[in-house]
Amino acid sequence: MARDNIYQEEEFPSPLMQLWFHFRQSPVVKIGFGCFLFLCFLAIFSSLISPYSPVENHLDSLLLPPAWDDEGNVSYLLGTDNLGRDMLSRLIHGTTLTFGLSFIVVLISLVIGVVIGSLSALTKGVKSSFLNHFLDVILSIPSLLLAIVIVAILGPGLSNTLWAIVMVLIPQFIHITRNAVEEEFNKDYVLASRLDGANSLRILHYSIFPNIIEKLISQATLAQSAAILDIATLGFLGLGAPIPMPEWGAMLANGIDLFYIAPWTVYLPGLAILFSVVATNLVGEGMRHALKARKES
Amino acid sequence: MNLLDIRNLSIKLLTASTPILAVDRVSLTMKEGEVRGLVGESGSGKSLLAQAIVGVLDDKWQVDADRFHWRGIDLMRLSVDERKKIISKDVAMIFQEPMACLDPTTTIGEQLEEAVDIAQLTGFFWQKKQQRKLAAANLLHKVGIKNHEICTKSYPHQLTEALCQRVMIAMALAKRPLLLIADEPTAAMESTNQNQIFRLLASLNQLKNMSILLISHDLENITHWTNTITVMYSGQFVEAGTTQHIFNRPYHPYTRALVDSSPKANMQIPLKSRLMTLPGSIPILQHLPIGCRLGPRCPKAQKACVEAPKVKNYHGHQVSCHYSLKGSY
Amino acid sequence: MLIFTLRRLNLFLFTMLLLSILSFSLSFLFPGEQIINISGQINTNPEGIELVALEYGKHESILSQYWNYLNHLFNGDWGISMTSQLPISNEILSHLPATMELTITALFIAMVVGIPIGFIAAINHRKKTDDLILSLAMIGYSIPIFWLGLLTILIFSIQLGWLPSAGQISLLYEIKQVTGIQFIDILLSDSPYKWQAFQDASSHIILPACVVALAPATIFVRLARTSMLNVLETHYIKAAMAKGLTFQQIIYRHAIRNAMVNVIRDVGLQFANLVTLAMVTEVIFSWPGIGRWLIESIYQRDYTAIQGGLLALSSFIFLVHIFTDFIYATLNPLARETHRGSR
Repeated sequence: MARDNIYQEEEFPSPLMQLWFHFRQSPVVKIGFGCFLFLCFLAIFSSLISPYSPVENHLDSLLLPPAWDDEGNVSYLLGTDNLGRDMLSRLIHGTTLTFGLSFIVVLISLVIGVVIGSLSALTKGVKSSFLNHFLDVILSIPSLLLAIVIVAILGPGLSNTLWAIVMVLIPQFIHITRNAVEEEFNKDYVLASRLDGANSLRILHYSIFPNIIEKLISQATLAQSAAILDIATLGFLGLGAPIPMPEWGAMLANGIDLFYIAPWTVYLPGLAILFSVVATNLVGEGMRHALKARKES
Repeated sequence: MNLLDIRNLSIKLLTASTPILAVDRVSLTMKEGEVRGLVGESGSGKSLLAQAIVGVLDDKWQVDADRFHWRGIDLMRLSVDERKKIISKDVAMIFQEPMACLDPTTTIGEQLEEAVDIAQLTGFFWQKKQQRKLAAANLLHKVGIKNHEICTKSYPHQLTEALCQRVMIAMALAKRPLLLIADEPTAAMESTNQNQIFRLLASLNQLKNMSILLISHDLENITHWTNTITVMYSGQFVEAGTTQHIFNRPYHPYTRALVDSSPKANMQIPLKSRLMTLPGSIPILQHLPIGCRLGPRCPKAQKACVEAPKVKNYHGHQVSCHYSLKGSY
Repeated sequence: MLIFTLRRLNLFLFTMLLLSILSFSLSFLFPGEQIINISGQINTNPEGIELVALEYGKHESILSQYWNYLNHLFNGDWGISMTSQLPISNEILSHLPATMELTITALFIAMVVGIPIGFIAAINHRKKTDDLILSLAMIGYSIPIFWLGLLTILIFSIQLGWLPSAGQISLLYEIKQVTGIQFIDILLSDSPYKWQAFQDASSHIILPACVVALAPATIFVRLARTSMLNVLETHYIKAAMAKGLTFQQIIYRHAIRNAMVNVIRDVGLQFANLVTLAMVTEVIFSWPGIGRWLIESIYQRDYTAIQGGLLALSSFIFLVHIFTDFIYATLNPLARETHRGSR
């Protein structure tokens, strides 16, 4: 029964504003979101912010500890590594590489995965079952193994790492999109659109996408934290960015041999990775929590 | 002596902002062997009231009452645990959608055996298992399920709704309760099955002298099976009395409207004319009217209805209205 | 139940087929000669290569090449490694059991630790315990595993000296390798120092297994918490409370079983993730497993080894996935039915 609108002054905020309201409720999530924006800022403006170039060798100050240590020097705030490169600048440039690349990777795989996933949800029968099994097979291959195989095919280098991780993330997006679209297809409002005469593409565009976009975004944050860890792992194993580039995982691998004399070369990149993954996860968690709270209220 | 004596029970919902009064000062009494109906639209708080009596509401609901006596024992003075212990010994409840109220991963037999009262079993512990099985089979016979073998071995999703409801009644009977609260037991069934369940409840009432509180939203259906009826609207007490009185001479405008909207009362109206209903719909929890909550919809509402009316008692027929229809009879 | 088994078997065969097609096509995609990639013979002269090409049916159609490849696989000839020139099937058989040991131990630890903690978090919902557990779970989930491995080696091996940091067992014990799984080998051998060897092997496996188990344990905490929260809101739990059961009884008899059912279904999906983590951990802790072998193969561009390793590892993961599916179907009678009914 339609509700008679007795109270004219009452207005309901749009779902997006409701989501933002619930998102803002938790202070921890706000801090996480702030850190996330800070990292984005660092990634974009890294060349302007960092004090030195990441590959410049300062041969007179090798293996300096961070500035708060006795032997440290304030001009090299977080110390230097074994080739005299400033840790702080390397870390900041590493933000562009590890964090910024993960963002691009997620964006590309999101677009491709969603397109393939929604198209495959429209097919039925043998084709769909075949695709389902194919996806199952790909999802059961460990992501690192898949990335290794793709890097083996394409060869080492940063752009190939990018493509490798894109290929690893696409099946996950296809899986999620497919499930979400199929679930929505069974609902009654899609049936109503179909009875009105809409064809499948139109239903996809107008009815279904606005309703699954939030699920996709929350999956995208999960995928981004996985992508950061994957890029760092590949860098650590030496399969990713080439040596002089200040990717965080590669920096960590570089610092292993010097662990006793210069532990900060291992601690700092690890902390940077941890920080960025936690920030991404906080944003993702906050979003999922806000979605649930919005549904309940 | 009254079995259950509740006076001015209120249930508050504690939200982030102000608390909302979901049930506003409702009174209810039950005698032994009585079948009372509790009628109201969905959203009138009848399920909340039943759950508050049994004690299964969670922490965000706050219950308090002027008087809440069970067989003379004052329950408001006891702690929550003690209250639950006393109530769960003598009061049982069955719910809507019986299939959803059974554990889907356990067989019916196991769930029935769980409900069997331990105190009624005698003998050593290896004999108890056999006795439990026997007790479960007996319970199924009592509710009219003859072949208990198939029933005890199956899972809930393999049975029909009516069968599941019988199983729920069997589980409720295991405690030999003095009061059975049936919360819309037949909402998910067709009318033939509904009659079966109601007949079963009536026979239990006659044979075992068990009181039944039958909650429903269908006034006409209830009148066949109940002795007395209480009507609620939007969490407030409206009217209570014997079934005869309520159906033939309703004192409250809302009860009158309910009676008028049933198909039987609408037989005589001319073709293609509107059915007699109250305009508007039940208010939502965020915008409850002050005073008598029927105010915005009531045909007899006037300025005095801004204050909640007190309950007036006319020889056992209670009404809560400033402008009751008593004068027109 | 029989139909369910048959369907699963069907799925397994189909997946194996797809995997073999994938690994067959890899030999074409890898750089270098296809025939060298698939067989691994890099040192022979042109006549030798021609012989091998005939074996693999190089000059015939793609389908018959694939058929030959399948034949070789079934006969146990998975090619020879380009670097060590040893048959790959031997290498896999000697390395895979160590990985199986590590991953299954880690899975076990993750389940035993993660799932009860998730249940506890759900029971104490909206209280401080719940928030604390969630925050710790998030941090555990975000730590990069190679960093965690290095830190644990630093703390537990070097600074505290409690646990060893590399290898599967100390080299002093000469345990003959029968199955490859260290614990079974110890029990089967007739060395006089069995008990010490057992203790030594346990101390070697604890650190890598715990490192691998951390991230999956946090995922299980989250899964178990969500599942238990959903179960606690259902009607049957409310009906059981009205039936008069105490909260303890409800949790142990009904809630845990229903919550576990939903968690087990996702355990199989997490296993691939776990194996990825195990591969990195094997490199750090020098654990002689298939992950470390594969990573070294890629450093040395040993394409045949990568093909074989991919096939073996994915089959193993898929087997575990099917096994957990079985357990899920046993626990949940609803999953055995395939029809949806009136839904």
